[in-house]
Amino acid sequence: MSMAVVASLNTLFGVLFLLATFMMLALRQTQAILHAYVAQALLLVGSTALLAVAAASPELAIVAFITLVAKPLLVPALIVRLLAPALRAKREVQATINVPATLALALAISLLAYFLTRPLVAGVDPVVQVNVPIGLDVLLLGVVMLAIRREAVPQLMSLMVIDNGAFFAGIAITTSSALVEFAAALEGVMVVMIVALLTRAIARSLGRTEVSALAMLREGKAP
Amino acid sequence: MSGLLLLPVLPIAVAAAAALGLRGIWVRAATLAAALACLALAVAAAAITERTGKLDLVPDWFGLNSLGALFLLLAAALAVTAALFSTGYVRHLTPDGAAERRYYLNFNLFVASLLLVPLMLEVALAWVAVELTTLLSIFLVGFANTGEALEAAWKYAVLTIMGATVAALGFFLLLWGLAQSGGGPQTFDALVSAAPAMPSALRKLAFALILVGFGTKIGLVPVHTWLPDAHSQAPTPVCALLSGIEVSLILYVVMRLLPVFTAIADFPIGDWLIVVGLLSAGVAAFLLLQVHDLKRLFAYSTVEHMGILLTALGFGAGAAYGTVYHVLTHALAKSLAFYAAGVVVLALGTRDIGAVRGLLRTNPFCGAALLAAGLAIAGAPPFAVFLSEITILRAGLAAEQYWAVGLLAFFIVVAFLGVMRHVNGMVFGEPKSDVRAVLPASAVATVVIAMVPVLVLGISMPGPLAHLIEVAAAEIARTP
Repeated sequence: MSMAVVASLNTLFGVLFLLATFMMLALRQTQAILHAYVAQALLLVGSTALLAVAAASPELAIVAFITLVAKPLLVPALIVRLLAPALRAKREVQATINVPATLALALAISLLAYFLTRPLVAGVDPVVQVNVPIGLDVLLLGVVMLAIRREAVPQLMSLMVIDNGAFFAGIAITTSSALVEFAAALEGVMVVMIVALLTRAIARSLGRTEVSALAMLREGKAP
Repeated sequence: MSGLLLLPVLPIAVAAAAALGLRGIWVRAATLAAALACLALAVAAAAITERTGKLDLVPDWFGLNSLGALFLLLAAALAVTAALFSTGYVRHLTPDGAAERRYYLNFNLFVASLLLVPLMLEVALAWVAVELTTLLSIFLVGFANTGEALEAAWKYAVLTIMGATVAALGFFLLLWGLAQSGGGPQTFDALVSAAPAMPSALRKLAFALILVGFGTKIGLVPVHTWLPDAHSQAPTPVCALLSGIEVSLILYVVMRLLPVFTAIADFPIGDWLIVVGLLSAGVAAFLLLQVHDLKRLFAYSTVEHMGILLTALGFGAGAAYGTVYHVLTHALAKSLAFYAAGVVVLALGTRDIGAVRGLLRTNPFCGAALLAAGLAIAGAPPFAVFLSEITILRAGLAAEQYWAVGLLAFFIVVAFLGVMRHVNGMVFGEPKSDVRAVLPASAVATVVIAMVPVLVLGISMPGPLAHLIEVAAAEIARTP
């Protein structure tokens, strides 16, 4: 593949990666959010594999493989296995602000990410020019998603979106050893497992997973 | 010194044994023995780094510098007192043998993660170790399995994992900067050496991401909201570890990276640290005044002390000694404060500050312990926290940061009054009730043992320890 083809394919992946994030912000059903997450994780794998082929880098190929096993496969499998009742809930999950306002905010954040990274990516590799701004953008959008979601499972997926954003930028700008990659992937799977188990404990104890309703701890109240 | 690699292995082995069925007195004794062995190793490692400045285990991957050695020493020391306090406390908390085993499984894994952080020379692995300290303590925070404990665990998990991931992008950017300026091993030292060649826009963005991300995990205002919950709902020995050393260990990673961000043109990093630090110290000092829960009181004090430390880092190289010294005194005094609060809660069965009066009469040991711990953490002379705070304020004056020093001194006084107002109310006065519960001997012993360094270090500092603080301070103060 010529560099120009790689660059334009990667741009396509980047745009779709960002689009999947916007969809997750707009969607209101837990299962649909999970599907959008899987699509996003697959695009992360796609971008990594593309970079591996372009640079003929066996290291990046390993990263792509580890990411493939962890993010679009193990993570959703764990969520489905541990949190099936919360996923099957057909009702709409609540957010603190409505969809149009969320999307307007997301647009503003995308512009911010673009301007924050502009001085960094001037004159560098076209792949980096795509991955760094979009990575930062998706990371910030994940923080927004975390802040506006009221339920445990969408909040957990927001954490994974933040993670995907960081790694979308990371794969384009760093090279690291297999040990570090393995540790990072294992850590990602651990996050999902532990937070999912905690969600299950909350569901068993309180009978629901609406974590925004957790407000027992506050000031001015005797313990 | 390859025995140092045993440090995380020992607690992990005990955790594995607990998972496989080690129970009762055996798991309690094994946990304490592993912690004591780790402390012995940490003392040996600190003695070497105090002389040589650093200790390589696997070059470019694992090892210690003098700053790391001091943190390792503190983590191991607190692991010992926390393990000792746990022996009687967990049995008191739950008569269920399976729950006790689960506690020790998680406790030992958490201790292993704490010991790992200062041993990492490789930057990405240091980040992974930081994330492990969160992941392996979530179930400890939620251990009581009450609505409150699960709520605290949820806030803790979500906010600090978010913070660490935001910081991860900052780490990626720094590694990119390293690759742009020639590459090489991805260690803290290599980053510091390569820093002048990195574009300043890159360093600024990385600094912002790491400050916001790890700031969340340190509990800096305004992203501190999870800390008073998590650091008060966890079992008492875990509170001592979380507040005493875990948050400081995250600050340790920031300290290792700090020389990368100094000397950026048009970017007064010291002012940023001072502003964020004073905000945390100030907000926490005033929030201290209105708490009703004894453990929350000491948790807010942690936010205040993290603010003091960040402000001290902002004062620059001159305050490096005071910063490291304060990490030490805070770790010792804060763990003591939680043990003292722990025996009070054990004796009275309540954490409600307003429900307790005249503790010195109804339970003289608890009363004296709480009074001494309160004075120690609030920074009264002759306790060591007083000396380290004075050292920081003097360094700030020497750096001509008069406004910041004035505000910091004011917040320290407010926090002092806040802590002592609550403690005095509980310790003195007419007793409301006459409960004289029998305390576990291990809990009493922990309070006495934890009191010793807090008292001794206020009066005299052993020479080798003072020298270790000096060489550790030089690590923060260096410039690329």
